[in-house]
Amino acid sequence: MKTIFVNCSPKKKMSVSGYLNTLAALGIKGEKVKEQVRNKGDHERVLSQIKEAEAVVFSMPLFVDSVPSHIMNFLADMEAFCLEKGLAPKVYVIANNGFIEGRQNKALMQVMQNFCKRSHLPFGGGIAVGGGVMLNVTRILFPIQCGLVVFSSLMNGLQTGNFMLREALLAFIELALVMTVLHCGVLFFGARLIKAINRRGECSVGYTRMMLPSFLFALVADIFFIIISIFGGGIFKGWLARKTEEQ
Amino acid sequence: MRLLIHDLPEKWDEILRPKAEEVFRADGNYAPCQGCFGCWTKHPAQCFMKDKLQTICQKFGKADELIIVTENHYGSYSAAIKNVMDRTIGLSTPFMTYRKGLTHHTLRYGKKKKLTVYVYGDMTEDEKNTFRLLAECNAVNFGYREMELHFAASAEELEGVMA
Ligand SMILES: Cc1cc2nc3c(=O)[nH]c(=O)nc-3n(C[C@H](O)[C@H](O)[C@H](O)COP(=O)(O)O)c2cc1C
Repeated sequence: MKTIFVNCSPKKKMSVSGYLNTLAALGIKGEKVKEQVRNKGDHERVLSQIKEAEAVVFSMPLFVDSVPSHIMNFLADMEAFCLEKGLAPKVYVIANNGFIEGRQNKALMQVMQNFCKRSHLPFGGGIAVGGGVMLNVTRILFPIQCGLVVFSSLMNGLQTGNFMLREALLAFIELALVMTVLHCGVLFFGARLIKAINRRGECSVGYTRMMLPSFLFALVADIFFIIISIFGGGIFKGWLARKTEEQ
Repeated sequence: MRLLIHDLPEKWDEILRPKAEEVFRADGNYAPCQGCFGCWTKHPAQCFMKDKLQTICQKFGKADELIIVTENHYGSYSAAIKNVMDRTIGLSTPFMTYRKGLTHHTLRYGKKKKLTVYVYGDMTEDEKNTFRLLAECNAVNFGYREMELHFAASAEELEGVMA
């Protein structure tokens, strides 16, 4: 049993798609191979892996309401390859997007299903995570916050002899609860997908999101981009100016 | 101003010229978006990659009507056209807003008049339906007030559909 995880993000590091693949792979039995398609140079290598696989998991970001352009190139090559070699691995799709609503991935999921029909491949289902960008925040923030709890307990203990273990435990439980609530959609639909992949079976596409009200998500995203744009320098280069003339 | 982008062979530039003030042929000879968001946070509306698409946002920003002529690929745009579109997210700002009840980004160049999409090539009914959804989403995402979508069974039939 071989499962190929194809990271479809163009990012070399810190891609949400790669992270979601890693999480999904944790629950998958049998041989697992992780690949990434960033440009045409990757096609041959990834296709040769697909030749021996029974399941292919695509994890991709939503780009302009659909599949990223470099993946459109890959799909065309994969269609030709699978038809020629008579291959029929089951295809699963993990999508994530920037906006908070997971259902904004609906067209992407349809495109992947249309691709499967053209290529005579069975579509096994998937999951679409709205506000997926936030996974990059929580995966850094959670360990830091846990570290802070341990650190403050240690400092207290060394200074006063009281490690305040009860408080530390409560703080940790609170953190874990917040994280569980934020990720409950990803966890639930993710587990469902993993179960389907292990059975080489099917599940419907689960549209979910980070469990945060959209106005709060918008606020966090705005603050995030203001900070990044101050450091990147973009804010000083006509950040919001409507450039209508020759620039 | 009307901007037309297409993925057809070069000879079509002439045929399509009367349809728009500016015709851009997407030949696919440029890099795909690297997802760095530099066109928001570092050098707004410009890409760090120095190819034909480096300042494509400004071209799009100036046009109040966009016409896209694309081959059908699984109910989505051809890779060459999609590559151009992926490189135009600098048309918006990083700020969030709501359009049609969904979160979107505010528009650096303001709202636009009309998006017209011509899709040619062999197409299944499912693919047509996907394109209907996709073009609708694109129009909202990029802030076009109107959207029109046309299908042609082949490139040869395009002229008739566009007339
Ligand atoms: C060129 C480009 C276009 C994008 N278009 C959309 C979009 O239409 N809707 C959306 O919700 N997010 C959009 N995003 C945001 C990405 O889907 C989001 O950042 C995702 O988490 C990136 O995943 P990755 O880290 O795996 O690359 C876009 C990002 C880029 C770079």
